[in-house]
Amino acid sequence: MIRWKAVGPLACFAALGLVAWWLFADRIARRTLETVGSAALGAKVEIRDVELRLARGRVAIRGLTVASPFEALENLLQADELVADLALAPLLEKKVVIDRLAAKGLRFGTPRATDGRIPGSSSGLMDRAKDFAGRLPVPALQLATGKIDIARLDPARLETPAAARALGARVDSVRQAWDEGLAGLDVSATVDSGVQMAERLRRAKGGPPDLKLLGDARRTLDRVKQTGTRLTALERTVRTGTTLLETGVAGLEDAKRRDYALGQTLLQLPSLDAADIGAALFGRAAVERFQRALYWAELGRRYMPPGLLPKAEAGPRRARRAGSTVRFPRAGAYPAFLLRSGELSFQLAGAGAGDRAEPRAYAAQVAGLTSDPALYGRPATLSASAPGVRAAALLDHVHATPRDTAAASLAGLTLPELTLPQLPVRLAPGRGSATLSFALAGDSIRARWSLRADGVRWARDTAQAATAPLGDVVWRAVSGIPSLEVSAGLAGTLARPRLTVSSNLDRVVAERIRALVGDEVVAAERKMRGRVDSIVEREARPARAAARSVTADVPRRLAAERARLDGVRRTLEQRLKDLTRLPGIRLP
Amino acid sequence: MLLKLLQSFFKALHSEGAPGQVAAGIALGSILGLTPLLNLHNGVVFALIVLLDVSFPGALLGWALFVPVGCLLDPAFDWLGQRLLLDTPALTPLWTGLYNTPVVPLTNFNNTVVLGSLVCALALWPPLFVASRWGVARYRATVAERVRSSRLYRALAASKLYAAYRLFRP
Repeated sequence: MIRWKAVGPLACFAALGLVAWWLFADRIARRTLETVGSAALGAKVEIRDVELRLARGRVAIRGLTVASPFEALENLLQADELVADLALAPLLEKKVVIDRLAAKGLRFGTPRATDGRIPGSSSGLMDRAKDFAGRLPVPALQLATGKIDIARLDPARLETPAAARALGARVDSVRQAWDEGLAGLDVSATVDSGVQMAERLRRAKGGPPDLKLLGDARRTLDRVKQTGTRLTALERTVRTGTTLLETGVAGLEDAKRRDYALGQTLLQLPSLDAADIGAALFGRAAVERFQRALYWAELGRRYMPPGLLPKAEAGPRRARRAGSTVRFPRAGAYPAFLLRSGELSFQLAGAGAGDRAEPRAYAAQVAGLTSDPALYGRPATLSASAPGVRAAALLDHVHATPRDTAAASLAGLTLPELTLPQLPVRLAPGRGSATLSFALAGDSIRARWSLRADGVRWARDTAQAATAPLGDVVWRAVSGIPSLEVSAGLAGTLARPRLTVSSNLDRVVAERIRALVGDEVVAAERKMRGRVDSIVEREARPARAAARSVTADVPRRLAAERARLDGVRRTLEQRLKDLTRLPGIRLP
Repeated sequence: MLLKLLQSFFKALHSEGAPGQVAAGIALGSILGLTPLLNLHNGVVFALIVLLDVSFPGALLGWALFVPVGCLLDPAFDWLGQRLLLDTPALTPLWTGLYNTPVVPLTNFNNTVVLGSLVCALALWPPLFVASRWGVARYRATVAERVRSSRLYRALAASKLYAAYRLFRP
């Protein structure tokens, strides 16, 4: 039964809805873009206005500001205007396909008045990137002051005692197994019966041939040979076991080296190796760059996952529970989001004289940015090139194992200032060149950052100088150096990354420190090593001795048994040969 | 809000509509209350409430009564939606087909809370309709007259909302 009188009010209601859409759609779209963008990036996304012209398939976003997720008072980018040409049909499937995007007036790294970071909003990606950075050991360039407190060395954190206990247990079990194996062979009984048989054969020589005796002799010889074969197998086992125990002993030395390193970290003793100096001076700067690159790569993986399986993500924010919204990509259908191609114009500091050089406009292209790379079938690419600037990135999430690569180089541009960590020294590289390359395949990571500048200006923070004992040393070492070359490499996996950093300052600073405080540091290191030794050797020495004992003793015993067996075998064979050589005797 | 709820409650019970019309209104309104409101399917439900000869106050009553129930049951809806959308491979082709069909994704069916609550609301509809019809009939047969003559009811009936309600009464 239809209530016809309600058709009019319902039509009015629908018309009101359309009017509300016409009035508020731009505002709703702006709010939605800000909310979604902020949640995705972990930093505030602010938009001045959005103009929706769905009939013409065009959306214009003006005054876009994206805060940096890393720096409190810095914007990641600002854009004067972004104009997107949308495909209309996918909108009916709640999918956004942008055929072409034009971005004008992009600016990077501009300052902002308030902190734009939103803690915890990037679904743990920032925490993961920070955890990764925390796994990269960056030594501290500082001297131990006052009395060295060796009691802080917690024996429970040392690796060697545990390794020694494990080795000791392994030695015991191996020794027991070998002893049982040797006892099971019963070589003595075999040798004794062989000797007796040889004696009987010797006595039988010259007498009438005794076929039964010859048969017994052959059986005895066979038993001797079988025992020899089993002894050979045992020797093989012992050789393998010996190798394992020797590896275990070598492992003790490795563990001890790690314990020394742990002790050194606890005592905050600076290493005098040039490589460590480089890591101490520029490790943090390198890690910061690698961490950022990893964050963006992980963000790409989060929102551009490989494969065609259903993908769940957090539902829309509302008063009620958000739940999860699941996407069901299907081959041949539109992805939930696709940017076919985009043209970006952006500005970077100019290469003119001084820091106040006018920004210069450059252009870049982006293509294939999609939420479902497997549907699009091609990797996303981004490239930018201009005099002095080259950048390219390729996000290949088409296959099961995602591969992300990016490389950028800047030349002839003013490089940002660097602060040497925990030291009252700052350096302004001035104009120079910098490169960053980054590759993440599955969880294997490889990255390199290098910096080169020939007009370095050094500045000293006099307020901080009094509190940093090494500041004066480093300042005197580096302040006269006009050029800077830094190279940092990252390799390994996300779980076990390895960082190497070197610079042209390493050797200079290391020699300076060595000359000034090297003796004290070496003495402190020796003292620390002594303390580590006193703890670890209590368990390591007996384990090592037991391993050496068993690896020397058992093979010696085996060799002795082997000699006895071989001797009796040769005797028996000789006696048999002598007997069977008699004329007229035919052996069965 | 409480006043409106009371008005809806009494007006639905005392409307001239048959118990079946009131019950259908309550059952349809329960869909609005149990599922997240701003979704396309609720537009359809709203149109049905307005166009079909069901009790509009009954629908308002059902909506008002089931909003808190929906909020309380959201974790259960989320769980059910998860089971249906992600943990039942047999249904994946169905969801994939719907997800890639024009207009259907605008219903947000692929949200766990929306799907879970909609399935529950549709499953509850028949028993709720039957129970409401029985309840309204029993109410009218027993205590309706006493309530109608009470001062509270007369005060509610005299309010402005009553006039608006009369436009949609069955």
